[in-house]
Amino acid sequence: MSENIIELIKENVIQGRITRDDEGIEEDMAGQPGVTELVEEALASGIDVSEIINKGLTASMQAVGQKFETGEYFIPDMLASAEAVGTAMEILKPHLEKSGVKPKGKILMATVKGDLHDIGKNIVSILLRGAGYMVKDIGNNLDTKDIVKAVREEKPDYLGLSALLTSTMVSMEDIIKALEESGLRDKVKIIIGGAPVSEEYAREIGADGYGADGFHGVSVIETMNGIN
Amino acid sequence: MIRKGIEGGSYKPLTPEDISRINDTVLSTIEEIGCQVNSDTALDAFKRVGASIDSKKRRVRLPREKVLELISKAPSEVTLCGRDEKYDIHLGGARVYTGTGGTALYIYEPTTGERRQATLTDLKDISRLVDKLDNIHLLLLPTYPNELPVEQVDVNRFFAGLDNTSKHIMGGVYTIDGMCEVMRMAEMVAGSPEALRQRPIISIITCVISPFIIDEKYGDMIVTAAESGLPVVCPSEPLCGATSPVTLAGNLVVQTVDSLMGVILAQAVNPGTPAIFGSVATSTDLRDYKYIAGSVEMGLLNAAGAQMAQFYKLPYYATGGMTDSKTLDAQSGYESAITNLLCALSGSNFIHDSAGLMEFAMTVCYEKYVIDNEILGMVMRAVEGIKVNDETIAYDLMKEIGPGGNFVTAKHTRRFMRKEHYQPGLSDRNSREKWDEKGSHATWEVAAKKVKSILESPASSLPDEIRKRVLSEIKSIVK
Repeated sequence: MSENIIELIKENVIQGRITRDDEGIEEDMAGQPGVTELVEEALASGIDVSEIINKGLTASMQAVGQKFETGEYFIPDMLASAEAVGTAMEILKPHLEKSGVKPKGKILMATVKGDLHDIGKNIVSILLRGAGYMVKDIGNNLDTKDIVKAVREEKPDYLGLSALLTSTMVSMEDIIKALEESGLRDKVKIIIGGAPVSEEYAREIGADGYGADGFHGVSVIETMNGIN
Repeated sequence: MIRKGIEGGSYKPLTPEDISRINDTVLSTIEEIGCQVNSDTALDAFKRVGASIDSKKRRVRLPREKVLELISKAPSEVTLCGRDEKYDIHLGGARVYTGTGGTALYIYEPTTGERRQATLTDLKDISRLVDKLDNIHLLLLPTYPNELPVEQVDVNRFFAGLDNTSKHIMGGVYTIDGMCEVMRMAEMVAGSPEALRQRPIISIITCVISPFIIDEKYGDMIVTAAESGLPVVCPSEPLCGATSPVTLAGNLVVQTVDSLMGVILAQAVNPGTPAIFGSVATSTDLRDYKYIAGSVEMGLLNAAGAQMAQFYKLPYYATGGMTDSKTLDAQSGYESAITNLLCALSGSNFIHDSAGLMEFAMTVCYEKYVIDNEILGMVMRAVEGIKVNDETIAYDLMKEIGPGGNFVTAKHTRRFMRKEHYQPGLSDRNSREKWDEKGSHATWEVAAKKVKSILESPASSLPDEIRKRVLSEIKSIVK
């Protein structure tokens, strides 16, 4: 029974189905239980949370990653699967501590002042949730002081900063300076991303990492987290 | 997703007035000029339906009413069955299907840049290749096995096809005895003579010689094929400035007359014969008087042929997709693409020669089959056109997403991305960095890898029992 539910969770993450109403990649899946219903069912039937995460969610995202690598899956497929995992993690959140599962980490995501572009940041957020991180997206066009305040209050392990414009990316450097001045810099790892920034720019302004795209961003954080 | 049998017909090089004028001239030609019939059996059949015959000149003329009456006896819809039902093809209307063509004598090897003679092994391997290429819907036997004596060619060619793909097999034949042996073999494969008539897994291509000649051998073949009740293709191949007027309109008249004479003969022999109106019309190179296979005019003529077929309500066999290039270069891509596209958009029921052929149809190339399979995928997507309905126009979605939003996470995107956009099976869409990383391969090199992997995969062979029976009863099959 438990293996059956785990298998179904896995299959539905791969199909990118969050709820019963969602379609999958294969035809005629709508109407069957999705990841939300299945995770709730798994919890109700007493299946171990770590088993749901490891055998149901993590394993299926690996399969999705492979399908993406070979070109079978497109970005929207990957995002749908990641969203399904993110939703599952939200349901499992209250049960993590009790079952002794250590959360992978908390990530704060923000787009800097003057920049209203948030497509990239939203995609990275979905992918990070899909990788099992707790992600708090604090929005776009944010003042440096608001970002510093959020870091102080939320105590994230990682801060993701995004900019699409060369004119706004310069405020990333201001944010890093402000965090140093507030004594918060060594408490959080900073990863930057967006079209105009680069590995070199990240080094120049003293960030800890750079994500060339959403998937690379996730792998940079996974590496920092000691996960290959 | 595989696109086949999609309704075409949006491209119409002829106006309704043009069609009417061509029809009028076609009927006058058959009534006044007539056709020379060198086959006695064909001449007898025309006699029986009341044609006027000038015995001395072997000239057959038919009044226009008689022509239209005989055309109306031919079925408008013809099903060409695969050994596997999923490959069945329903010719008629403006539905579009594709297939290979022939008959080539040589194989071009892009790795060495050399051309060699085609053998029976090539025919088997190309059949295996076509079996796995989704945008090629039937196998028209594409090569001639140079090493066999002519009396063994027909049965060996059809066996090579039947034993290596479960798609429908269409082919030309070289002798009447060979054709009869092929039919006997197909009956064994189908299960019985009746089963073959019910589900014709093979069809026979004949020909009428332009301008206005029914040849002795091919006339006999049309008669024998029509008597068998199997689907028979009656194409003609007028060449502009050589065997037809140089003008496209004049060529169309010759092509229509000649192909109709084949269809009419089949109906005279056996009313209701599934006869397919066919065009192989093309240009001539008037610098050295040779056949051309990749001209844009060939595309125009064969597209117009589709309109004529639709006018007469006959299933249609068109010719397109070839190149005159000797190598896999830009010319080989654009000539194949343009002629295939024109034929397909006009609603040609079956585009023959649509893959693999180059160099005036004398040569085929394994890699080109894979390249043309990609061209045909794009062509069939073009035939499908643009669907406009509530779901595809997506007003509600735009309302929900609003200014500055994005559609990448919308369920709508995932629902339609694969259906609305053709997914390439060969074309390279990698960034330069990734392309470099993968070895900076040209299209034909990637195609070569695909050929290799298909030929290493299991073939769609005949079931063991049937195979054994065929081999034990038909001794001329080379094992």
